Amino acid sequence: MIVAKNLSKNFNGIKALDSLSFCLNKGDVVALLGPNGAGKTTLLRILTGYLSPSSGDVEIYGHDPIKERVAVLSKIGYVPENAPLYPEMSTYEFLRFSAKLRNISPEILSQKIFSVIDNLQLYSVLNQRIETLSKGYKHRVALASALMHSPKILILDEPTEGLDPNQKFEMHKFIKNYSQQSIIIISTHILEEVEASANRILLLNKGKLIRDTTPQELKLSGSNYDIASAFRSMTGGSDNA
Amino acid sequence: MLKNTLTIFTKEFMSYFRTPTAYIIIAVYLVLSMFATFYSSNFFMNNNIGLTSFFTYQPEILIILIPALTMKLWSDERRSGTIEFILTQPISYTSIILGKFLAAFAFGCLLLVLTLPFDLYVSALISLDSTMILSAYLGTILSIMFLTAIGCMISAFNTNSVLAYLFSVFMGWILISINFDFLLQPWMNLSENLSVKLTQSLNFYHHYQDMIMGEPGLDNLMYFCTLSVLALWINRIAIDYKKQ
Repeated sequence: MIVAKNLSKNFNGIKALDSLSFCLNKGDVVALLGPNGAGKTTLLRILTGYLSPSSGDVEIYGHDPIKERVAVLSKIGYVPENAPLYPEMSTYEFLRFSAKLRNISPEILSQKIFSVIDNLQLYSVLNQRIETLSKGYKHRVALASALMHSPKILILDEPTEGLDPNQKFEMHKFIKNYSQQSIIIISTHILEEVEASANRILLLNKGKLIRDTTPQELKLSGSNYDIASAFRSMTGGSDNA
Repeated sequence: MLKNTLTIFTKEFMSYFRTPTAYIIIAVYLVLSMFATFYSSNFFMNNNIGLTSFFTYQPEILIILIPALTMKLWSDERRSGTIEFILTQPISYTSIILGKFLAAFAFGCLLLVLTLPFDLYVSALISLDSTMILSAYLGTILSIMFLTAIGCMISAFNTNSVLAYLFSVFMGWILISINFDFLLQPWMNLSENLSVKLTQSLNFYHHYQDMIMGEPGLDNLMYFCTLSVLALWINRIAIDYKKQ
């Protein structure tokens, strides 16, 4: 369970997040939707303890991400934007490194690694250096690393950015399957992704939470009864499309 | 914590050998060390029972080479974005900082280990003072630790590894060559004896010379350890600062 109360973040006097409050529960597949600069990545970084909030509180399964970051991070699998990985390592070396960082016991280490390799179909690139992988494979390796410890919360920042349609389809399918056992938060500005994966939407604009809704409700509030028109009208874009 | 530190240590230490960097640094170190020993220090003209010719120029050589080991430790993580990966793993920041520091420190010590055949060679020519040599090696290891900690600290503040290298060389040079007389000038009148002692206690070469002359003391050990811990603590502050 994730609870945020009056969460704000300032960068040199500029408000990136402005008094956000929400509560997420198991089974929620939440799309953080908003235009560029809405504060989506900042919010994810606060949830993972990478950034500290300027004011307000966050609780993740009863723990504070700043004061108890190790306890919080052991429940989270996080794939940052552009899936940063160590280019000089091979896929297997990277996954082994990730597994060790996740404190997976040596007895089940190999089993866990090969389980995620199997789930994300990484056999063909196992011994390939990460710098030589395609963008799609890099995303998969990053996702495999985030899933290593079967996290209760999966946070994906722009997970389908740069993927081809087949890879996007696979990613959406994966999110649907994984959502039964955890909370999934996807940051995106791609509307098709919201429809394909999410059952809840947090719509952000200029750091403010302007709507906490479902894809169905959001569609109904648009002039054309679709998410795109609702998105445009709520985030200040032209609604004449 | 120890297990996580070891995981980071292994990853960082092995990464030196994934590129030619490690081999280049080893080669440059050995060439510079031998050049300094045999050419600049007139090895065959001096009394070298403690290998003084070899150890005298070690700080200058290490000032140039240790930053090459530390420059990428944090700056590359920032540049490539992997810092977000590593800092969102369920391990303490202390483990990450120590793991990175120990990897560079261990590589620095490896450089020193590679000079052992030289000791054996000299020991076949002349009779060496093993206590003096052990003390000098300890002094050099402490200098490596000190310069590594400084390099890690500088790297944590930079996104550009070349800048991190240059700043580390500059910082190392300042800390090693500076004489703190000017800072203590106002207190000279109060007690000249105290001022001299203070100046010496802050001076790198005073401590290093003690060690290569075979006279190690607790004050020498404290000097290197205190400054190294201070640098690593500032490294930690740099990581925390980026969260704000």
